[in-house]
Amino acid sequence: MWAVYKKELKSYFLSPIGYIAIGIFLIVFSLIFYLTTITVRQYDMGNLYYNTARYGLLLIIPIITMRMFAEERKNGTEQLLLTSPRSITSIVMGKFLAAVTLIAIILAFSLLYYVILCFFKAPNLVSTLVCMLGFLLVSMAAITAGMFVSSITENQIVAAPITLLLLFLPDLTGMLSIINLMGHYQKFPAGIISLNEIVPLVAYMVMFILFTIIIMQRRKSIK
Amino acid sequence: MIEVKNVTKKYANITAVDNISFNVSDGEIVGFLGQNGAGKTTTMNMITGFIEPNEGQIIVNGYDISKKPKKAKKHIGYMPEGVPLYTELTVKEFVTYMAELKLLKGKEKKENIKDVITKTGLSEVENKLIKNLSRGYKQRVSLAGALVGNPDVIILDEPTVGLDPKQITEIRSLIKNLRKKHTVILSSHILSEVSQICDRVIIINHGKIVAIDTPENLENKTKEKNTIILTVEDPNKNMDNLKTVIPKIEDIKLLKDNQDNTKQYAVTSSNEVDLRKILFEVLPKQEITIFELKKAESTLEDAFIKLIDSNKEYDKNEENKGGKN
Repeated sequence: MWAVYKKELKSYFLSPIGYIAIGIFLIVFSLIFYLTTITVRQYDMGNLYYNTARYGLLLIIPIITMRMFAEERKNGTEQLLLTSPRSITSIVMGKFLAAVTLIAIILAFSLLYYVILCFFKAPNLVSTLVCMLGFLLVSMAAITAGMFVSSITENQIVAAPITLLLLFLPDLTGMLSIINLMGHYQKFPAGIISLNEIVPLVAYMVMFILFTIIIMQRRKSIK
Repeated sequence: MIEVKNVTKKYANITAVDNISFNVSDGEIVGFLGQNGAGKTTTMNMITGFIEPNEGQIIVNGYDISKKPKKAKKHIGYMPEGVPLYTELTVKEFVTYMAELKLLKGKEKKENIKDVITKTGLSEVENKLIKNLSRGYKQRVSLAGALVGNPDVIILDEPTVGLDPKQITEIRSLIKNLRKKHTVILSSHILSEVSQICDRVIIINHGKIVAIDTPENLENKTKEKNTIILTVEDPNKNMDNLKTVIPKIEDIKLLKDNQDNTKQYAVTSSNEVDLRKILFEVLPKQEITIFELKKAESTLEDAFIKLIDSNKEYDKNEENKGGKN
């Protein structure tokens, strides 16, 4: 798993993807910071993370996940992975954890804004960390969805909009509340860790990880 | 070392590989020959565990690839067709990644990577990005990926396709050096290459094995006539009557009328008759001067074409029989 993890994490920064993801996050986070903290003078880190998750993740997750399996399949490097003595589960988990690490790196940049706010009125650190934890969990769930979509196509350009729809439609239409990730990121921004939010997010993650593993296993027999 | 038992692979209504069986022994180099779409790559993909057969069993080093994939794959190095590589990595990074995928660790990993890079002649470019390398070097990188971990079985799908003659010779000599230490299965369209490198050849057509034998045996088995290539000076045009003088000759064909007043002929007899001695004895008596006399070698290419054609005829007859029934 760690071989795949290391290589995937390195690949994010050898290609523009890692930098684009960080850039988009910073633009969205800064814009919301400006609109709330600077303009309205609202020192609410929870609101910042909530809105960044709602609008920023929609763009970041498809960019991060679209190439995960689709690119390997298109380039034929999938053959190198699947003929190695590594299990499909370890390959999937390696790729998943690399994407999670990228989000964690991106989140670390957001602490800059906490430092800036400390000059005026220091926000509650624990609440901020809880917001970040929630953001990370929502991101992890969104990554699994994107990873699953990437495993069913060999075209990145197809994978990205499908992931976008999968993440955006439930939130936009209010339907399928179970798979509406933002519906499970309501208490974290208030600094509350709630099992009612953690359990659905973890279930969402496990479901899509399993789907991805099944798809990859199935491909061996239908290829 | 490798046992393929009654393996079949179907895609919807198409049977890509149809009930094939063969064994490859330790240290052997076996060549897969076949037209495009014959089932070579599908067979190789099944041996490496990339795809699963619908029926049959594949055993690599005593492990069933479907039941014990991790153990079986440890013994396999695969160079897939089309040379898929992570082009954003450097050569060393790629080989390191392949070593890690093959579960190598610590000192063993370090030494193995160094050894493979040296063996494949990549030392000079080990810190270059793969995307900036020539096709020949990319092919070597792919081969290095297959060799790392020192696997017992190495499977090479079209290892020399798209290379220039010099690169082909280099890759070929690399493969030849793998003999004895590794069991190698390779597919190729270049029949002379298979003939030079391989101990045995498997000819596959429409998913079925048409022949398995050594290149020499295949050439001899499919040889129907004995042909002598003869270059002579014949001022009295006695070659025209040679068939009557030597009744064992079945046919004489003029191949070339050379500018130095010599002519080249193809003299054919039945497979059992060797005309060389008779020609040396008779031609001087007929005032024919021999400039060159050599036995025309049957090539693997001839054998391949004959076997494929006879298989096509067989298939047609079977279809007709089926139609009549």
